[in-house]
Amino acid sequence: CILHCFLFLLVFGRAIHAIARVSDEFWFDPIEKGLALRSVNSSRSAYAYVFFSSMFFQHYCWTAVSQPCQKEKQLSLPCKLIIKSILPVFRCVNVLERNVEKCSIYTNVNDHHITFQLLCKHGVVKTYNLTFQECDPLQAVFAKHMCPNILKVHSRLLADIMIHFPTSQEEVTLSVTPMKVCLKSYTEEDTGFSKTMLTEIQLNPDEFDYFQVGVDSEVTFCLKELRGLLAFSEATSVPVSIHFDISGKPIAFGVEDTVLEASFILATLSDVEMETASQQPPCVSQRQESNAEAAASKKPRWNGNAPNTGSAKTTSPLAKQEIKSIPRVAKKGTTGVAGTAITEAEDHAMLEGEATESLSYFYKYCIFQFHSLFFGAVCCKEKDAISHTFHSLATPSDAEEDFGSGQSSQV
Amino acid sequence: MRFRAKIVDLACLNHFSRVINTIAKLAKTCTLRLTVSKLYFILSDKVANGGVSMWCELCQGNFFDEFQMEGVAAEHNEIYLELVPDNLSRALKTAQSAKAVKIKLTNKHCPCLRVAVELPSLSSSSRIVTHDIPVGVIPRRLWNDFREPSVPDFDVSIYLPVLKTMKSVVERMKNLSNSIVIEANLSGEMNLKIETDLVSVTTHFKDLGNPPWASEDGCQSSAQGRDLENMAEARIDIKKLQQLLAGQQVNPTKALCNIVSKRIVHFILLHEDVSLQYFIPALA
Repeated sequence: CILHCFLFLLVFGRAIHAIARVSDEFWFDPIEKGLALRSVNSSRSAYAYVFFSSMFFQHYCWTAVSQPCQKEKQLSLPCKLIIKSILPVFRCVNVLERNVEKCSIYTNVNDHHITFQLLCKHGVVKTYNLTFQECDPLQAVFAKHMCPNILKVHSRLLADIMIHFPTSQEEVTLSVTPMKVCLKSYTEEDTGFSKTMLTEIQLNPDEFDYFQVGVDSEVTFCLKELRGLLAFSEATSVPVSIHFDISGKPIAFGVEDTVLEASFILATLSDVEMETASQQPPCVSQRQESNAEAAASKKPRWNGNAPNTGSAKTTSPLAKQEIKSIPRVAKKGTTGVAGTAITEAEDHAMLEGEATESLSYFYKYCIFQFHSLFFGAVCCKEKDAISHTFHSLATPSDAEEDFGSGQSSQV
Repeated sequence: MRFRAKIVDLACLNHFSRVINTIAKLAKTCTLRLTVSKLYFILSDKVANGGVSMWCELCQGNFFDEFQMEGVAAEHNEIYLELVPDNLSRALKTAQSAKAVKIKLTNKHCPCLRVAVELPSLSSSSRIVTHDIPVGVIPRRLWNDFREPSVPDFDVSIYLPVLKTMKSVVERMKNLSNSIVIEANLSGEMNLKIETDLVSVTTHFKDLGNPPWASEDGCQSSAQGRDLENMAEARIDIKKLQQLLAGQQVNPTKALCNIVSKRIVHFILLHEDVSLQYFIPALA
């Protein structure tokens, strides 16, 4: 497909920076309605999604190119870029705004190139040609509307709060009751004497534009990855919405307005003890078994994945095997990203009437791996999938049903 | 052992923050000594510090609106804490618009200085930010290590040039050499010298003035009867000097140094409510 657009640099640049905090590479996914950027970090504990609708751009032109060799009409060309190559383009976003008059993005399928062209002052033209890799699409499914706790707050307030934490602070805990909200730094040290300074901020529910606490909860997530979204939301001055549940379930930070939408979904820490008491024991016990070496200690650990990339690497060969054994699912069949056992929500046409058996096996594997990202449900049933829009992350969740059916111990 | 203090006035808070920032630039870890009337930030001259030592004294009444302290025992009504001043600096950094700042010594899991900053917010109740700074309580038997250093028997005492100028000179010299020679005489002249294989640079300052020191018991100090033109000099680590000068956020009311030839340079920086003494030993 061919994409040609001009854009508002500050917002776009901040989006790139935000995504860069999550991972070194990102998915560049132009579709008819707009441009989607996605990324996921190596331990699969953070997922970033930014969607710019075609109206965001001064000029947006997208043409589908169907390839006759494939059975289905190729609707989109998801491709993967190394973010390090694009970051210099948008490095000093503030400076950029002053010097650059226009920025256009072209894609060239045959060459496997995406071109960013900056038309600057004084007739200077900077052209960046970036190679991309074709890959399986990436999409996390998260049922926002199922979250009992929803907070909406202006990005300015969030920035004012986060400023109290040192930039080196890795993780923070958000704890809510209907009466108060508290954000505090999280440290893993068990020892009585810790050398680090701990910061805690108490907020009144009045300070939030929207405050709904259905269940008292305390969720711990990674602050570093979030800071990118905070900077981005400040640039857009759109309020930030926070959807979350109890600890262990993911937390989603999002901004949305008429021309753009962004979501950062982060895994939250869960206590080992809390897992065994959760409503989904079969899945949990399976995970505990195979992550036995990763969870050697009794300490709370990141749900569903080990904090180091080592574990992610060991699972990836397995993931690739699984994908290959279900050829329909991995229709693009390319090298793929490590551990991309993430569902393709767009492929509804393919799902219809397929051997549900192999599919549910695949999705169970998804649940197994990405309990932290996926709020219960992973697959969309056929009828739901059809109505599923490309850029929406909300999915009607049939969590309980999926878990109930076919809990075979194949994994 | 108890300690509670509160600052409500913004100007006092800013002033206190500036002092803490200066201390944070000079020492990674230091000792905080609390008495009924004063606070002291002390760095004793251990080898790990490169032999430098620091003594900073504040009158609590000039900063705190409330100050209550109970020491380890009635006859030793003092508290000695070991802390990282940078933590305190960071805690106060975002308190620039605070309604009030409370500092309290607590011992929940471990001894901490709890800094609670009350910030204005849009809602009816204030936003409260709490920082728990871990501290170590120094037992009484070690208090002797932290006695106030006496003014050394110096050869020359001289007022420092304008600190900003001195700082920029030293910063440039820092790129050329690791050590710097400070020499001065009783005629108000001071030279800063560096010398390497390739280059030597000297900056001359004149008309600085020499502070009058009253001799304590009438006996002659080594400075008396000294030839006015005779220079006393000491070679010190340039980085330590640069740290001292760079850390100064406000111009002191008085800034002077005492040089003991080839032994030590003693800097005294006096502000209205704060006095800072810094000792840099001469290099071998």
